[in-house]
Amino acid sequence: MNWSLKTLTAIASFAFASFSVNLSAHAGEVLNRVLAKKTLTVATSANWHPASFMNDKGQLDGFDIEVAKGVAKYMGVEAQFVTPGWDIITSGKWEGRWDLTMGQMTPTAPRAKLFDFAAVYIYGNTVAVVHKDSKASKPSDLDGKVIGVSAGSSEESYLKQTLELYNAPPVKYEFTPGEVKSYASAGYADDLRLGDGVRIDGLLTEELDAKGMIKAGYPFKIIGGSLVSAPAVIAVLHGDKEFSDKVAAAIKSMREDGTLSKLSIKWYGSDQTVLK
Amino acid sequence: MLYQDTVESEVLVHKPWFVASIFALVLALFLTINLTGTVMGEVMRPVIGDPLESGFYGRFAIAFVIAVMFCLNLVLIGFGPLIVQIVVVWLELLVLFIGFFNLFNLSLPFIWDNLPLLISQGVFTTLYVSAISLLFASMIAIVAAIAKLSTNGFAYGIASFYTSFFRGLPLLMQIYLVYLGLPQLGIVIDAVPSGILALSLCIGAYMTEIFRSGIASIDRGQWEASRSMGFGFGLTMRRIVLPQALPVIIPPTGNMFIGMLKDSSLVSVLGVWELTFLARTIGQPTFHHMEMLIAAAIIYWILSVCLEMIQGRIERHYARSKVR
Amino acid sequence: MTASKIHQLKNVPSQREPTDAADMLHLQPTSFQGPSGKKQVTMTSDKIIEATHVSKWYGTFRALTDVNLTVRKGERIVICGPSGSGKSTLIRCFNRLEAHQEGEITVNGIRLHNKMRNVTEVRKNVGMVFQHFNLFPHMTVLMNCMAGPMWIKDVPEAEAKKTALQFLERVRIPEQANKYPVQLSGGQQQRVAIARSLCMEPAVMLFDEPTSALDPEMVSEVLETMTSLARDGMTMVCVTHEMGFARAVADRVIFMDAGRIVEEAAPKDFFTKPQHDRTKLFLGQILQH
Repeated sequence: MNWSLKTLTAIASFAFASFSVNLSAHAGEVLNRVLAKKTLTVATSANWHPASFMNDKGQLDGFDIEVAKGVAKYMGVEAQFVTPGWDIITSGKWEGRWDLTMGQMTPTAPRAKLFDFAAVYIYGNTVAVVHKDSKASKPSDLDGKVIGVSAGSSEESYLKQTLELYNAPPVKYEFTPGEVKSYASAGYADDLRLGDGVRIDGLLTEELDAKGMIKAGYPFKIIGGSLVSAPAVIAVLHGDKEFSDKVAAAIKSMREDGTLSKLSIKWYGSDQTVLK
Repeated sequence: MLYQDTVESEVLVHKPWFVASIFALVLALFLTINLTGTVMGEVMRPVIGDPLESGFYGRFAIAFVIAVMFCLNLVLIGFGPLIVQIVVVWLELLVLFIGFFNLFNLSLPFIWDNLPLLISQGVFTTLYVSAISLLFASMIAIVAAIAKLSTNGFAYGIASFYTSFFRGLPLLMQIYLVYLGLPQLGIVIDAVPSGILALSLCIGAYMTEIFRSGIASIDRGQWEASRSMGFGFGLTMRRIVLPQALPVIIPPTGNMFIGMLKDSSLVSVLGVWELTFLARTIGQPTFHHMEMLIAAAIIYWILSVCLEMIQGRIERHYARSKVR
Repeated sequence: MTASKIHQLKNVPSQREPTDAADMLHLQPTSFQGPSGKKQVTMTSDKIIEATHVSKWYGTFRALTDVNLTVRKGERIVICGPSGSGKSTLIRCFNRLEAHQEGEITVNGIRLHNKMRNVTEVRKNVGMVFQHFNLFPHMTVLMNCMAGPMWIKDVPEAEAKKTALQFLERVRIPEQANKYPVQLSGGQQQRVAIARSLCMEPAVMLFDEPTSALDPEMVSEVLETMTSLARDGMTMVCVTHEMGFARAVADRVIFMDAGRIVEEAAPKDFFTKPQHDRTKLFLGQILQH
């Protein structure tokens, strides 16, 4: 069996040769990489209308996508998009596969350990949504109920009462759910659509998202006001201050020339980019 | 084959006790479901009056009619020749399926509008990811199978560890390990290659066992005849053993490939735009999930059927040296 | 093998009438002792297989014990003996399908041992016909015959095909060339197996009970093929129980029992005046019917 041994040895040595270690990835290099490759690689979602979704031509479109393109344009490069799972994005293990994430990330204290929050580009309100047949009329009516939420989101942290906003006073929790059901995709809306309490009693999501569902004919209603108001940010990994500053400058420029507001009105019908 | 006896047994669906018990079963089943508000209720209006007002009598009448139709259908099919039975059962099940999908109020135009994208992007990606993975998996499997059959302890150790490990882990976890774990060693690969690597390694582990048993099924006499003519190990393997092992290897490999076609949907977690990913994504903005999911399901089904047919052809091709 | 070579082979006059026992004795190793010493030297270079003091174990079981056997060019040797006597094991050692642990085996001047790098050189020159034919079932009859010359000797395809067809003609089944082995009867398959070996132009042919797996009515067609090969001067070592064949073509008959060569004699002497009790017992059993 000499032949097989040789083959295996060859494979093994090839594998070890590939381990030529390259662990220090980010020391001020992200900007250089972006400029050298002339592309800004953006991690985003393909499942989040109208921030980022697949339009009828099969291309990504939406508020986040257009903002990302604006940032790329400011740097003089092309924007390119990848759509890994949100859990992979928030794990912080980017390994140079993409340069920033455009997912309206809520800045929290744990995330601050992994990411630089380069720029705030929109403000969001978390609201509670229930089926229109539900007897609940205010968030505190959801005490002890089953609530659906997107896995790994700040809404999930809110439900689990572990939300620590970055550089902000502690969050006040208006209710304590009986059970938190976390969904890898947006399946919570379909589950709530089945009827009040069939699978879940309510869900927590972004106010604009909730309004979108209701507009699309989902039998939902929003109860109460905003549970949390928080900015949403473009996140980059720690380590490249220059790059982070460049992103901030891009957003600042888009804010000043009115592009950001225009995009917000285009996609959301109102200007959500300034704190009210 | 079940190797039928030459003495014909009585047709089961023509035995009174069998028909009676099926009848009772269907009746009971449909009694528990209230169908008065559906098409069935409308059809029965002349008999039961206003369907929604008919109460238990209405429900019973509907269930009774359904049970009668079901049993009649069974008995009639029982009279047909084999091929007719098969075709009729297939058609009926298909009609039931379509009826079930119809319940969702699907928007057909939406499906038609998005089908080109689903096929050009989704099916294409799914097929090429699966095909490349199968190719790599086969290569891994041949090497690992030979290693597992060898008397070389080093080779056997590596190969058996490999099959044990990759058969013992969920594929989804392997995909994450390759995508998130390999970068820890300084190897950063993109989503598509990560998916292909994980699929190849996982399927390769299963195929190792298929190849091993295929190679082991070749009679010792073939090795001796080959050796006695002066053929070396490589030549014997390539020209004598593997070609004969192929008929043994191909059916389970075909099954693996059909399975892998569907397992490849797991790489959608990495953001690879294959069939499942697109199916979940395209319908999102307009909340047409079910349309896309069902369309993708049917595409997967059609692909599997095509692969089954190809597998059948290949099997027949290799069976030719066995025909007297 | 080219056409002219076959022609030569066919035209080699049978060295002697196989039934002429007195003449056959002339070939026996023992007959070279004494006055004909000079002849012995010339014959020594003709040794195709030489086994000296060969022993073999399967684990603790001793399959061969101190076997000595020399096969010279043109010799036809039949090995017989009860089952389990080591006769198959012995000839399978001659092309190194089995390893021996003690003694020396030299084939065509190449010593066989477990670290040899030129085993292919030996096997190219030693044809083997198996009890269960062992044709390659996924290849046509023709391809079975062409494979060896093409893959081992780099013979061009056209020439390999020509040779293969000639040898299929030789074993009288050219019309089956494009069939697969399973479509042939046992006797036909065994004749294809013989043709397959002949295509390699071997210096010696080993037959490992070539007729024991055949239906009785097919035995004779295979024996006829073997007899005709013998008449054309092919060097042969046959393990067989076909005593008629042994009587007709063998130069020497070797009787083995329990891994040893018990008796070695010309067919005439072997069948009419066996020396050992075990030989007598064996012949008594086998010739009863």
